[in-house]
Amino acid sequence: MFRAVVSRATSVLKPAALVHSKRVPAVVSSVRYSHGKKETDQEFDQRYEEYFNRRDIDGWEIRKALNDLQGHDLVPEPKIVIAILKACRRLNDYSLTTRYLEALKNKCGSHEKQIWPYIVQEIRPTLDELGISLPEELGYYKPELALKSVYDMHG
Amino acid sequence: MVIIMKGIGAYRALLTAQPLQRKMSQLLRLIARSAVQRRGFCCSATLSRQVAIEEVGGKDVAVEGAGVYEHKIGKREIVGYGYNGLPNYMDRADFPFPAIRFREETQEIKKLREKEKGDWKKLTLEEKKALYRASFCQTFAEMHAPTGEWRTIVAGTLLGFSVAVWLVIYIKKFVYPPPPHTITREYQEKELKRMIAQGQGPVEGISSKYDYQKGDWK
Repeated sequence: MFRAVVSRATSVLKPAALVHSKRVPAVVSSVRYSHGKKETDQEFDQRYEEYFNRRDIDGWEIRKALNDLQGHDLVPEPKIVIAILKACRRLNDYSLTTRYLEALKNKCGSHEKQIWPYIVQEIRPTLDELGISLPEELGYYKPELALKSVYDMHG
Repeated sequence: MVIIMKGIGAYRALLTAQPLQRKMSQLLRLIARSAVQRRGFCCSATLSRQVAIEEVGGKDVAVEGAGVYEHKIGKREIVGYGYNGLPNYMDRADFPFPAIRFREETQEIKKLREKEKGDWKKLTLEEKKALYRASFCQTFAEMHAPTGEWRTIVAGTLLGFSVAVWLVIYIKKFVYPPPPHTITREYQEKELKRMIAQGQGPVEGISSKYDYQKGDWK
């Protein structure tokens, strides 16, 4: 029954999806309908950069795209990071920048010593321009608060 | 078993699609109608983004995120897709942006959000941290901080080992019968002599290694 509902729903939603794709042409169309075509690194970078540079990007979309980007086996180019930071600025959500920079640093993994300083050096002008602090500057390089264990919460 | 669709348009489309499945459509309409009556079709912008088909009691039922999950998430704002499309919060390095903010909006946070709309250079470090903590629970450093749990694991493992050793000792002492008399050294030496005297294994066995002329091993 679930499958039936899904197939009905998708057939009905198709027009809605088409309307929607006008808003996000780059991401949706090239990913969903490109079976077999391999995306080059440049295209990947461009796709994400353009997506984050969209003027009408909203909080739902940026969070989804950031989560997706975090799922890839790569550290995004500084130009994508800059586009992300500017998108956060347009959305007036400061917490996203700190959270994303933390996630980005985490993404560097064992190569953090080589990659992270390079990214910071590249995005520094944007950070200064927008008034964004690095997680380190907020003191988030080490644990600040401890969580109470869930086993100790009641009783 | 959840599909999240964006936009109230999708929600409407879903509702009109229902008559195709007669059996459940009645149930579905009933629930949808009550949801519509409760919330009105013009939901607030943030909440209308969440429309889910969720399995409820074995039936697929269209539900609207905020109304249904209010008892779980309170007034915390639904801001994204999260990691499985449900409005829940978890600090995860692979999905850094959960579907809801961690805290409900208070007066202080509301004021900060107003200030956030202006120049970020005017925000102090404390205000930036307050904004962060309003949306998220733990920082990455806190997420990955050592918990000290390894101590418990080592202690448990060693405890298991010692229990096993004591069990062996106990069984040897109280469960097994005493070893047979054939296991003593004297008996086995006598047995060896007897085997040689009998000439057991003359080709490749024990007697083939014995020199009967010299009366000693070859």
